[in-house]
Amino acid sequence: MAIALAVLLLSPLFFSGLISKVKAVWGGRRGAPVLQPYYDFFKLLRKGEVISATTTPIFRIAPSIGIAATILALMIVPIPTFGSLISFNGDFALFAYLMGLTKFFTVAAALDTGSSFEGMGASREVTYSTIVETAFLIVIGSLALLTHHVSFDSIFSSVGLISEYTPLVRILLVASLFIMLLAEGSRVPVDDPNTHLELTMIHEVMVLDYSGPDLAFIQYTAALRMTIISTLIANLIVPALAPAIQALLLFGVTMLVTFVAVGGVESLIARSRMSHVPQFLFLMTALSLTAFAVVVFFLYGGR
Amino acid sequence: MTEFLVGVAVIFLGGVAACVSPEKGKGWVFSLFAASAQFLILPAVISTLLSGGLAQLPLSFGEPIGLAYLRLDPLAALFSLLISTGTIFASVYSIGYMKMYAGRASSLSSHYLFLGMMSAAMLLVVVVQNAILFLIVWEVMSVSSFLLVAFDNGDAEVRKAALYYFTAMQVGAAFLIAAFGWVSAASGSLDFNSFTSVLGRWDFVSILLFVLFFLGFGTKAGFVPLHTWLPRAHPAAPTGVSALMSGVMIKLGIYGILRILLLSGVPNSHVAYGVLVISVLTGIFGITNAIAQDDIKRLLAYSSIENVGIIGIGIGIGMLGLAYHSPLVAMLGFLGALLHTVNHFTFKSVLFHASGVIYSRTHTRDMNKLGGLGKYLPVTSAGFLIASLAAMGLPVFNGFISELALYLGLAKAFMISSVVTSVAALFSLSGLAFTGAMALLAFSKAYGITFLGLPRERLHANPAETEWTLIAPMVTLAVVIVAMGLLPWLAVILLRNVIIQFVPALSPDDFLFVTETLRTVSTVFTGLLVLTGVFLGLRSLLLKRRNVATFKTWDCGYQVGSARLQYTGSSFAQPFLHLVEELVPRRIRVNKEPFLFPKDASLESHTQDLSERFIYRPTIRAVDRFLGLFSWIQSGRMQQYIMYGLVFIVALLIWILGVK
Repeated sequence: MAIALAVLLLSPLFFSGLISKVKAVWGGRRGAPVLQPYYDFFKLLRKGEVISATTTPIFRIAPSIGIAATILALMIVPIPTFGSLISFNGDFALFAYLMGLTKFFTVAAALDTGSSFEGMGASREVTYSTIVETAFLIVIGSLALLTHHVSFDSIFSSVGLISEYTPLVRILLVASLFIMLLAEGSRVPVDDPNTHLELTMIHEVMVLDYSGPDLAFIQYTAALRMTIISTLIANLIVPALAPAIQALLLFGVTMLVTFVAVGGVESLIARSRMSHVPQFLFLMTALSLTAFAVVVFFLYGGR
Repeated sequence: MTEFLVGVAVIFLGGVAACVSPEKGKGWVFSLFAASAQFLILPAVISTLLSGGLAQLPLSFGEPIGLAYLRLDPLAALFSLLISTGTIFASVYSIGYMKMYAGRASSLSSHYLFLGMMSAAMLLVVVVQNAILFLIVWEVMSVSSFLLVAFDNGDAEVRKAALYYFTAMQVGAAFLIAAFGWVSAASGSLDFNSFTSVLGRWDFVSILLFVLFFLGFGTKAGFVPLHTWLPRAHPAAPTGVSALMSGVMIKLGIYGILRILLLSGVPNSHVAYGVLVISVLTGIFGITNAIAQDDIKRLLAYSSIENVGIIGIGIGIGMLGLAYHSPLVAMLGFLGALLHTVNHFTFKSVLFHASGVIYSRTHTRDMNKLGGLGKYLPVTSAGFLIASLAAMGLPVFNGFISELALYLGLAKAFMISSVVTSVAALFSLSGLAFTGAMALLAFSKAYGITFLGLPRERLHANPAETEWTLIAPMVTLAVVIVAMGLLPWLAVILLRNVIIQFVPALSPDDFLFVTETLRTVSTVFTGLLVLTGVFLGLRSLLLKRRNVATFKTWDCGYQVGSARLQYTGSSFAQPFLHLVEELVPRRIRVNKEPFLFPKDASLESHTQDLSERFIYRPTIRAVDRFLGLFSWIQSGRMQQYIMYGLVFIVALLIWILGVK
């Protein structure tokens, strides 16, 4: 358990390196080494900082709060075959609100700099999160209805036991969570992690004023958010009763495939126009509502 | 019970005593009376809450009231706790805030007189259990709060807002008079306990009565579409009063609904769905409108509407749990509703108090002109931040605990095997999540635009926190917010007996389910604080030997940056408002100057409350037209009136002669 959690805590930067590698190879380049984000991380930890004179202490504490809240969110998420470290009734709400806490402090820190660019990113971030957050709770609602459980751990350990109709529900929910992964991970087509130009300003522009260790924390937090959501995806894919070795292998493969897919999406699709982003995000809502409808139909349709 | 009534009298006398005190001492005198009343009221209230007992006192009046019972049960005690402590916060805050109005001794006298009257009336509202006496104290509460709102009556806007509020309250009271009249007639008694025989039947008449009660109490609470007075009255009132009205008075609408539920036994499931749907819509409507506001107090007023919606969701879940005989769901619903009532009192009081500090130091409530106040008003900024985090339901504050209870209640409601319940639960679950996400937007706007960045327009003078009376209530309440977040089961113990009143079938296991969950939550919260501390420590350790430079904000190479380039509240909310344009229509007025150097070009945008356009204006117009049909009766001609008199006398004569 502790080892699995430690591996997950160490892996996020590997996954973001993987995405860059996939994009490079797809584009016909050799690309930076997969471990490049780790080199950057440790380089940033050794640097000093430049802090805007406009800011209040909010700016300085925000990255630390963000990284702490996201690590706690990871502890709530079950790891296949191991379960979750922290589990209680209604922990899904705490998970959602821990993600929200990180978001609030990122946004507040962006507004703290008084920069119009960062304000723009902050405004978009909170706007899109209204759609994603709602759809995420619909995902959880469908799973709670399906399994009659109210904590992540018991939901995901029993979702595999209900056989007949879950494949359809799972496919819908995996698709839904994949969209969430793209949105929360600030990926194409919602956001572009490579630039902070006006057209694509969301996450990268909000952290424009950060440097040094704070920037390292922020980059790690962003990668960890993606790892968390792809772990949720893996939970829907790995069968519940598989032997431990197989399950763990499948878990690892799922994670790799997910991130290769993210890289693939980024290589194939252009970023949407800002006004079209909500339409893309509403796809997540539609997918999860469909999953809910399927669950209701199968539970009560026969009667 | 007697101490309780003496306490009520002391608060009222405090207002009278403030009238005869010298101008500078008025606030202090009232606060002294209010503080000493706490010693009379709180022991009775807290012992009732902890023991679950019932204290009652029969009072004999002449006809038509007759014998009236005053009863202090746990539900009444919980609300008395809020009213009583809310009064002391409002009075201490008023000492500092009312210095803005120095020299207006008579206005200040009336302020404290009506503050005492309103608090005393509110305390009586929750204990009086006789229909007529209840309506009387209810009206005293409404009228005295109207007079408080109208404090700054030299301002035409304030007068308008106060009259609007007064009218709304009378409409609400009309529903209540009808409902109480009907139920008393049907049950043959004015005592609340006898209403059960009528309300508990859940036939057509009792559902209609419930709707009437809901409309009456819902007007006070601010359920959509009966909410339109809140965004008017809250900004107009002096801030201490706004905080008391938003934190405490609108909760008496919730109290009324809960009291009627308590008298109605096991509720009808259809009514439960109705309450749930209205509450979800109230939450969503309230917070979308809050996002659109630029006046900070209007934003807070709309956020109160949202929170009433959240409390309503809890009541709806509780009713569903009772209707489907699931004590656990019922408990989680009522726990969420009651806890959120208390939580909203704490954080909304802080938010209003902070907005009052801003207004008294900068003389504006328009967020688009403010900014960067965190540096000038550090305590206010910290208080506003903590209260905002609680209002968004984020860890580690008390707002999360009540929302957790609601999420759990909804997730548990999925286990009631019924399609309708599942769909209703999902609707509420996603509604609650949507509301929460929008609250994040609203409060990152409220906090970020007002306290962070740079002032968008030149501030009057450097604002400073010089009045400790403005700060002290905020600090106290902020401590309560944190304590309730970190030690949530303590609050649950306080609410236990109130919940048992609603869910008598509650087993100790159900209760354990909640306390165990909350203990884990508080461990996780502690973990979050520790982990944050670890990273902050790591950060300062890493930066210890490094160079940390201070420089201006990175402006992408643009050389003439100005504070006016910053994102404003309006621009921050624009992308979202664009998405919900149908729900929050905006009117934009552009003044383009056709000349070469347009000095006076301007753009104004206003958001409209949808319910006014589609519900109130058409209704009022229809009523106006209908009543217009009778306007010929009052023509203003003397001859016609004399004729009425003659016709009346002749008719009377005919009737008397005809009958005899």
